[in-house]
Amino acid sequence: MFSQQEAKNLIDKAIGYAKLPGCQIDLNSSEDVFIRFANNGITTSGYRVTQSLSISSVTDDKRHGNAVVNELTDESLKRGVEQAETLARISKTDPEDMPALGPQKYPVLSNFDSFTGSARGDAMIPHVKAVLDSARQSQLTAAGFIQRSATAVAVGNKAGLFGYHTYTDSSLTNTMRTPGGASSGWASQTSVSLKDVNGEAAGRISAEKCLRGAGARKKLDPGKYTVILEPAAVSDLVGYLGGSFGARDAEQGQSFLSKQGGGTHLGEKMFPEYITLRSDPFNTTLAATPWGPSLLPNERMAWIDKGVVKNFDYDRYWASKAGKDPTPGTDNLVLDGQDYTLDDLIKSTDKGLLITRFWYIRVLQPQTLQVTGLTRDGVFLIEKGKVTDPVTNYRWNESPVRVLQNTKKLTRPVRSQGAEAGSSIVPAIVATEFNLASVSDAV
Amino acid sequence: MTKTSWMPPVVTRRAFLSTATGGSVLLANRLFGAPDASAAKPNPALEKLAEVALAEARKQGATYCDIRIARYRQQFSGYRLSPERDGKKTDEVPFVTDQQNFGFGVRVIANGQWGFAASPLVTAAEIARIAREAVVVAKANSVLQASPVQLAPTKAYTDRWTSSFEKDPFAVAVDEKLELMHNATSIIKKDPKVFAAFGFLALRAEDKYFASSEGSSIQQYVVQVWPALQATAVDTQKNISRTRSYQTPPVTAGWEAVAKANVGENAPRIREEVLEHLAAPPVTPGKKDLVLLPSHLYLTIHESIGHSTELDRALGYEANFAGTSFLTPDKMGKFQVGSELIDIFGDRTNEGGLATVKYDDDGVLTTKFPIIEKGIFKHYQTIRDQAHLVGETESRGCCYADSWSSVPFQRMPNVWLAPGPRDVTPNDLIAGVDDGILIEGEGSYSIDQQRYNFQFGGDAFWEIKGGKKRGMLSRVAYQSKTADFWRACDGIAGASYWQQFGSFFDGKGEPEQINAISHGCSPSRFRQVNVLLTD
Repeated sequence: MFSQQEAKNLIDKAIGYAKLPGCQIDLNSSEDVFIRFANNGITTSGYRVTQSLSISSVTDDKRHGNAVVNELTDESLKRGVEQAETLARISKTDPEDMPALGPQKYPVLSNFDSFTGSARGDAMIPHVKAVLDSARQSQLTAAGFIQRSATAVAVGNKAGLFGYHTYTDSSLTNTMRTPGGASSGWASQTSVSLKDVNGEAAGRISAEKCLRGAGARKKLDPGKYTVILEPAAVSDLVGYLGGSFGARDAEQGQSFLSKQGGGTHLGEKMFPEYITLRSDPFNTTLAATPWGPSLLPNERMAWIDKGVVKNFDYDRYWASKAGKDPTPGTDNLVLDGQDYTLDDLIKSTDKGLLITRFWYIRVLQPQTLQVTGLTRDGVFLIEKGKVTDPVTNYRWNESPVRVLQNTKKLTRPVRSQGAEAGSSIVPAIVATEFNLASVSDAV
Repeated sequence: MTKTSWMPPVVTRRAFLSTATGGSVLLANRLFGAPDASAAKPNPALEKLAEVALAEARKQGATYCDIRIARYRQQFSGYRLSPERDGKKTDEVPFVTDQQNFGFGVRVIANGQWGFAASPLVTAAEIARIAREAVVVAKANSVLQASPVQLAPTKAYTDRWTSSFEKDPFAVAVDEKLELMHNATSIIKKDPKVFAAFGFLALRAEDKYFASSEGSSIQQYVVQVWPALQATAVDTQKNISRTRSYQTPPVTAGWEAVAKANVGENAPRIREEVLEHLAAPPVTPGKKDLVLLPSHLYLTIHESIGHSTELDRALGYEANFAGTSFLTPDKMGKFQVGSELIDIFGDRTNEGGLATVKYDDDGVLTTKFPIIEKGIFKHYQTIRDQAHLVGETESRGCCYADSWSSVPFQRMPNVWLAPGPRDVTPNDLIAGVDDGILIEGEGSYSIDQQRYNFQFGGDAFWEIKGGKKRGMLSRVAYQSKTADFWRACDGIAGASYWQQFGSFFDGKGEPEQINAISHGCSPSRFRQVNVLLTD
């Protein structure tokens, strides 16, 4: 992993080779350690170092070329810059090119943990052992994955811009299954710090889920149900929603924020007043960079504020056309919650389903944001405020927009990660009218 | 193939080629050089570097070691044509990127346990360090092993192999590629009712050297190309949008495959069909017969048969991520997955397949093998360390990684459906349908973690009524269960209609790896499948 000075030297050296007026360098170096386990034993594991340097060249008439190299010798950098410049000269003018930004004042973000950055397998094996012990104690079979990564990113351009940042990340997920495969439970922990990972707790949760699901599964008819979605399920839905705030798509009739007949829903109250969705790069529990995709300083941004569609995501080009300020992108999503606990949500539900997480989500229609997916690793019936029987898995066809519109209560948000959309900070929610399309026999 | 007449004023094509492939002091270029189909043996410089890893691992107590030194090259170029904010002017945005990724990974068995380490610094000193790291990892993890690793035997090979291609696509000038895509997207966008056009050309090349402590020394080169086009139409009054793609198969081949794809020639049809799709009435849901074309059915094969017959899934190795399989080992040799018409093969030897190589990342000579015979599930996809778990004595050559920095594991071979009788045509299949849908191309796709329940959309849908193909439909998806679906197959067109499609983006494993895969089939008919109306 490069230090700030090493990164600066590499970027300066690459820019020094540039002959065209525009040159931007993006440098990424990381080191990660991981252990994978299945059938109650470690299967594969590794330690690896990776690096890449991306060179984006621009001619004075706005033609672009890009080259990415990972050999970082002087000769490789020189050849990489020549390659990017050659491609730029061959390409045609990009009408959406924006002038290079000069030096920026980037915020200082704190999401690097030095223990995590230097941890090796010996810091992870006790957590794996705790999960495996938990599985064996309950006569279950565990599979899972624990990892940590440390990353340095740097950016610089010919106009004098420079930024450098380091961050760490870690996670432990595990799945426990009964020996015949009739039930499955899952738990996930993700954090900037490996110190927050707790194998004993992760193993206990997935074992409890698996054992609770081991009885005869009820097969309810497909239809619309009140559901309590645990944070991992909410995280995937919020990820799909957050990625749909692009101003261009909204204004050009291609998203759920487009209005029938033209125009957009900007400024409209589309959701209950307790729904606030925002990006928060300063939240220290999520990895973030001090700059967004446009290289402008990262900042907090509300997309939905108290139920109102507050902002669209403008890149620099579309913002210049719309007379708006560009936005830093829809990463680091936070869905604000309420003070309820998961138990409160269960107690307040007369009949519904408790859903652990989702799987294989794909978009069906951008204008409604209808997506399809499946439930996985624990669906339970709630009757008169109590969790009663295990239920089969389901395929569902539903829109995250409608889910948030039908949300009645939320817990406090926590960092969570499902199967599809990366990490976000989200609560568990109770939502009505969730469309379960068909039974899935999968466990 | 469209030829370019445009030449940039500053850089000649000759100058570009010298930058792209000319003599270089870069280590990756020195080790792998330009593609050379005539070379019969691996580069001795690669063998010398590999010996450092093998010797160091042996010294540290490893009982097995292999090293892969690899270089991956990718080039993406193309155009997006979409309206500016005022909705009148069209922005024509070109893009071009060249990417290279070079490094090595060392895999060892020590104390009966796998260990792996990888680095981008391809020097003897770093190779020795990384080999030691891999042994440290293996020994540390051996305290929690379920059972010691057992490798099915394989022969030792010394060989050099190159995938078949006529013209190196990386050596074709980028201006020619951009012009091809500019022409095609401009044809689509010519009708102002079409909202946007997108076209790209993806090239991929893999130089890989493999050496093992069992005596193998193998250098392979694979080159792949993929051109594609997509049109989008928007109706703001109805607040809907539809797409239509010219879905050409990604293929292990050279520039000649791009020429054969006839991208520009297909652009006018895509332009017309996206507007027809936008105006198409919604489907009436219910049970219908489906005739599925290869550009669509390949993905159904991939998801429902390809993944369910991966042995590592069936054994629980993927339980925490991609999932397990409804095809458990007790079903081998007896379970009826499909109708008697269904013969499906795993194959890493077939011409043009994205998973086609001569040797896998275990150093095993690749093969073709039956997965389903007359509808019965026969064999899993296997690798050296798992074959014995289903009583087999050799690997079927399905081990590979997506990068030098990734751990090789069980990945899918090309999985293809055998064609039906020679005299069966797609029209015969349609003629036998009273109320059904003809589906082309891929749309949304989703399947559960044991590969029972799936839901697929498509790129284009045509109503079939009274044995005739009618107009387009919209908002179609079908839901089924894998065995129900394949048992409902009652017609497969003959070999002359057989086509191979594929994907560059098949995900599996933790950390997740993305691999390329092909699936061939002829148009096929499925009876009484549940069709849904989507939003």
